[in-house]
Amino acid sequence: MKRVVDVSIPLGPVHPCWKEPARVKCETRGEKVLSAEVELGYMKKGIERIMRGRPWQEVMFLAERVCGICSVIHNMVFIEGMEAVSGITVPDRAAYLRVVMNELDRIQSHLLANFSYCYTIEHETLAMYLLNTRERAMDCMERIAGVRVNKAYMIPGGVRFDLRDTDRALLLADLAHLEDSVHRYGRMFDTGPLIATRSKGVGILMQEQARIARAVGPTARASGIAEDVRLTHPTYRKLAFTPIVRTEGDNHARIMLRFDEIFQSLGLIRQCLHDLPAGPIRGGGTCGAGETVSRGEAPRGELSYFIRSDEYGRILDIAIRTPSIPNIDACTHHMLPGVTSLADVTSVFVSADPCIACNER
Amino acid sequence: MSLLQDAKNWVRSRSIHVAYVDVGSCNGCDIEILACLAPRYDIEQYGIYVHNNPREADILLVVGAMTPPWVERLPALWAKIPAPKAAIAIGNCPVSGCVYNRRETYILGPVAKYIPIAAEVPGCPPRPTEILSAVLAVAPTVFRDYEVNRS
Amino acid sequence: MAIYQEKDLRELKYHILTSARHDRAVRDLAGMLGMGVQPFRRILIERLDMQYLENLAGRYEQWEARGDREDPLDRALGRELFTSYLPMVEPSGMEQIRAEARASVEAGTPPSEAAARARGRLAEVLRP
Repeated sequence: MKRVVDVSIPLGPVHPCWKEPARVKCETRGEKVLSAEVELGYMKKGIERIMRGRPWQEVMFLAERVCGICSVIHNMVFIEGMEAVSGITVPDRAAYLRVVMNELDRIQSHLLANFSYCYTIEHETLAMYLLNTRERAMDCMERIAGVRVNKAYMIPGGVRFDLRDTDRALLLADLAHLEDSVHRYGRMFDTGPLIATRSKGVGILMQEQARIARAVGPTARASGIAEDVRLTHPTYRKLAFTPIVRTEGDNHARIMLRFDEIFQSLGLIRQCLHDLPAGPIRGGGTCGAGETVSRGEAPRGELSYFIRSDEYGRILDIAIRTPSIPNIDACTHHMLPGVTSLADVTSVFVSADPCIACNER
Repeated sequence: MSLLQDAKNWVRSRSIHVAYVDVGSCNGCDIEILACLAPRYDIEQYGIYVHNNPREADILLVVGAMTPPWVERLPALWAKIPAPKAAIAIGNCPVSGCVYNRRETYILGPVAKYIPIAAEVPGCPPRPTEILSAVLAVAPTVFRDYEVNRS
Repeated sequence: MAIYQEKDLRELKYHILTSARHDRAVRDLAGMLGMGVQPFRRILIERLDMQYLENLAGRYEQWEARGDREDPLDRALGRELFTSYLPMVEPSGMEQIRAEARASVEAGTPPSEAAARARGRLAEVLRP
């Protein structure tokens, strides 16, 4: 709702701090932000419309290209949805390998989010350290799947590539390296006095607000909401997963939560590699008709696909709800109002890890 | 060849300012451009500086499949970049629309309809090294002896 | 200088509302207010920004699950729904409608009829 304000300051669509185009109009009095309004449409490609009426073989690749940062989970959720409607089962080894890949993807996405935040608060040294560490996680994925981004690793009934013993040894070595680096940089972030000034108590999201906007993922978990779709996923339940929760709800909590989740992901991968059963990585099956809602925990939060298909495996209707939709909503409508300085607007926006490509599809 | 032109050539060969604009991608290519900043690829050792400010840029990296709001904004952004300038299309999307160029889509590609594209780097997404070598290959051909070639 | 930023966003906003989940939420809400779908879409487009529209289904489902739990009249009227989940009405305006409905219930009108009338009032307030 419009209020009487001093100035309305537009940020974007092309902004040095933001990786993607979006336009946020901040209504301010003095430097205090009273309300913010978002203008989108710069990334609207109409993926859901393109998907309708196409066979699953095509939709699988389109689903991955909803978001290039968290492409693995889009692939996984869509494929699990198709498996659910067609009654295809996955061999155990493939189920574990899916978790390995998904957690590697989460590590690189969280490192990228923390890089963006450090870059936005102009701590370029830490940002570059984190970006370089991310390359290590990208290497791990490339070694298993053959490409860096848009891997199409999962297919109905299993995964495409097995983990060879040589790769497994290299993966374990890389995990040790990642753990060392992330431990060091996480501590740098946690104890840096100037970082604390820019982050602690800035961009607070109260628990009630997070619930109203239906915030998900690290944004919600940093505000004390212990929700994680991994709790209901069969493979993660075997791994005895419990979510990490913080209660501060400010920028600092969100970034530190991501650092903590990286350690958790490293632990999950190690556990998967330890428990990894021998056996085939691909089962058989035919994609058929059905209707389902498939959910999974993306790096940014809950991702859900509503899928309806016909007996030939063609997608009749699909609706994708990405985690960035509620998170950007919570960020712009609940975190930004009350921010006391315009310099903090960009950092608060980036701390929610906004992904406009997911948001608009 | 004047001394001034030589000086300009020398300066321009070691100082390339890059801006990137996302006109509707999946984020994959953006992030590969960002990865170029990482110390592993170290884009700055070649004198390339990623600014993301069109008014200071020499090279514009265009990412994405061209969504309707960009149709008038992209030429306006291109006009803001001071000459000499060049645009490089990164990824399949600006070239062909990639997977988005199907029935029922909103995109209005290719990008070359709206601004002149000097080079194209196909791939979904291209590797950071490919992006880096494309920038390094295009820059001298566009900027070397720019004033002489223009007149 | 040409102004190329402040554009008409109605078409883009309409595209958002045509997705399957959004469409369901819009139809539910329009039915609740006793309005046609298309006029209600127009109200949404004029009163909410694009991020609210993207999250429309999420916010609506969240309200269905946990909003206005205490009072059946509030639930029927969508008091929190239209003021905090999807802020389209000023809280003062909503309080006024609610007070009128409450008064008419106390005066002897059956609660369902009072709620229906209050929703009609709300629809009037929402119409531009």
